[in-house]
Amino acid sequence: MAPTACFNCKEARAVIIRPKNRHKLCRACFIKIFETEVHETIIGTNLFFPGERVAIGASGGKDSTVLAAVLKTLNERYNYGLDLCLLSIDEGIRGYRDDSLETVKRNAVQYEMPLDILGYSELYGWTMDQVVEQVGKKGNCTYCGVFRRQALDRGAARLGIKHVVTGHNADDVAETVMMNLLRGDLPRLSRGTSIVTSSDASDIKRSKPLKYAYEKEIVLYAHHRQLDYFTTECIYSPEAFRGSARTLIKDLEKIRPSSILDIVKSGEDMAALVPVEVRGTGRSKQSAAEEESAGGCGSQNGRTSGGEMAAMEKQLTENDAAEALETEIKLPNGARVKANRGPTGKAVKTQTIKHCERCNYISSQRICKACTLLDGLNRNRPKTAIEVGVGMEDEESSSTLMRQMERAQLSAT
Amino acid sequence: MPAKERNKLCMECKHAEFELTVRKRQLCSLCFKRFIAHKVQSRLSVYRAFGLDGPKTQLLLPVSLGVSSSVLLHILNTDRQHRLDNGRPLGYDFKILVIEPSTIAATGIPFDQNYEALQKNFPMHTITRIPFHSIFDHVPEIQDIMKEYAGSKFIDDSARSNGERLAAFRASISTPTSRTDVDTVLLTRLIVEFAKKSGCESIIWGDSDSRLAAKALAGVAKGRGASLTWQVSDGMSPWGVRFEYPLRDLYKAELLQYESVCADLADVVIPDQPPSENVLTKNLSIDELMLRYVQNQGAKYPGVMANVARTANKLNPSASDGAPTCALCASLLGNVKGNSGVTVANQAEDNHSSQFCYGCMRSRPEELC
Repeated sequence: MAPTACFNCKEARAVIIRPKNRHKLCRACFIKIFETEVHETIIGTNLFFPGERVAIGASGGKDSTVLAAVLKTLNERYNYGLDLCLLSIDEGIRGYRDDSLETVKRNAVQYEMPLDILGYSELYGWTMDQVVEQVGKKGNCTYCGVFRRQALDRGAARLGIKHVVTGHNADDVAETVMMNLLRGDLPRLSRGTSIVTSSDASDIKRSKPLKYAYEKEIVLYAHHRQLDYFTTECIYSPEAFRGSARTLIKDLEKIRPSSILDIVKSGEDMAALVPVEVRGTGRSKQSAAEEESAGGCGSQNGRTSGGEMAAMEKQLTENDAAEALETEIKLPNGARVKANRGPTGKAVKTQTIKHCERCNYISSQRICKACTLLDGLNRNRPKTAIEVGVGMEDEESSSTLMRQMERAQLSAT
Repeated sequence: MPAKERNKLCMECKHAEFELTVRKRQLCSLCFKRFIAHKVQSRLSVYRAFGLDGPKTQLLLPVSLGVSSSVLLHILNTDRQHRLDNGRPLGYDFKILVIEPSTIAATGIPFDQNYEALQKNFPMHTITRIPFHSIFDHVPEIQDIMKEYAGSKFIDDSARSNGERLAAFRASISTPTSRTDVDTVLLTRLIVEFAKKSGCESIIWGDSDSRLAAKALAGVAKGRGASLTWQVSDGMSPWGVRFEYPLRDLYKAELLQYESVCADLADVVIPDQPPSENVLTKNLSIDELMLRYVQNQGAKYPGVMANVARTANKLNPSASDGAPTCALCASLLGNVKGNSGVTVANQAEDNHSSQFCYGCMRSRPEELC
């Protein structure tokens, strides 16, 4: 059988079947088309301005490596005039992060970008290895997720950068849409799909330029450009429940390859249809970073565990039962409750932005989530370590987050 | 009474022996039916408000002769009979429409006996029976829309019978997902047109909660998220006829239980075909996949699945008055107002000028997208 010619240039031999639409393409055309699509996303959404300093959240994985490579290429090809740099978070997971950080370090050289690495130990006084030692493998992703969200913001602030781009791809976004629909989480449904998550609370803007790029195409791009990336998943995640949404999306992709993009489109439309009163006031009052369900570990994020689903089921059943027992009390005609009502007459609870009393990070609570989690961790840590405090490890473990932050700020100035 | 016997009593009336367990409560068949009927009637109570002296609202109930729509008919009929017997106002009345199942499914299930049973058991109602291909008569403009939609893949020959023309159009669409999708669109249009012609202001659909959850998920997966506000939520459809889903609080399993205690439904209902085991996922349609997903997950987490339809029901209908709509399915063309996303259905030039919406573009015969 004669080799198939490329769908695009009709000349070269097709070597790639595009996962997105099954077009047969040659290597050069695939790379070109992939890059052009990211460019169109960037232009179509006015993502950057000339001269903007942008930090790429780099984990060493395929998504962020491809993001860095594509942004560098496009920046040069279309003269975006961006000042790009890499920002990595070191969760302190031996055998996973230390290896992937080596990859990021090589990337920094390959792409001639400055690299900054910020560690959990430096920020929070706990590495993930220590957290797991304390809390076990179950639920440790909660800690990692909360810590990472703040870490990127703090890292960017330290570098004086106002825009962080992350490697979230179309699969991640589609998964988030399905997940939020299954969870019945309307506020997140209204925010999860937007390419930029900025908020009134934080002056650091987050965006996902690969939002419309298929995970499979990212892998192909990385492969055909022979990019240097790290493939192992987080060693703490294999036990993590591979959620319903993930499986569902993989099945959908088999039936209709465009499904992933179709879900993103549906998600975007539905976001605009979420009633204003449940959305939170217009823009998110939470920090932009809080909105993101997927971070760098790419295995647990955006998915829920069986336990969560069962817990939600239990709650819904209880609500149902309670509802059946309720008696509706109707107000006499004419009586209207005023005060503190939204446009639809429902009481609206608005979030107020505060700063965490401990670490000064933006939070809707008195104490931010990270500090709350740290409280729990520190309470159980043997007190003796504080007294002994000789080695680096002990020194760290006795420090409070405040002290860690001071140090981080000092080194920033 | 010994405790052992007392345990066998219905938890509601504490009189009859219990026959069924529903939502962890043991009920006799009478109390069970009352419980189910209450869930349905509370959904339709808005139509009662006009009914005391005012004109009776006419509703259209499409009956597929499947479990859900037949049970809905039974509930509404029982209530109607009860009101008539007690001299209470009806508030609304309904007409029944049956689209001949043999003209929809390729398998050609015989349904004549079921239809006769329907007429015999529910003689009080106007029942109309039309074939799917009567869409050419009821919606005359559809033939031009079909031609435009299917392109060169579909050669329409008006000399042929309507049945053959529809079959030719359906054959031009290649994948199961697209076929199911377009079939649903055409069926909806036919039913809407019939409702309008027979003076019905609302259509009451017999979709169970499980079905609605599957519809919501499938709609999202097919890029039709914006249309959930009338395809899954109660609300105004783009054709000016309201859509109501009064079975939205009931699981499919509960409707099956209801059917099992109604002798007069036994001959009416065409039982569901059991899902075949040996189908590769990639050969399923998205609608089928989602139904299976909701069934499987619903066995373990019924509440979570139920919540999907509830969540979709909370979305606001899009306030895009006068915005251009799809020639085929009447959904909005382009993005919902406020959505600045840049997803496009295809790379073709006519994408923006197209008269078809994103979802319909996806289901078009392949060469066109």
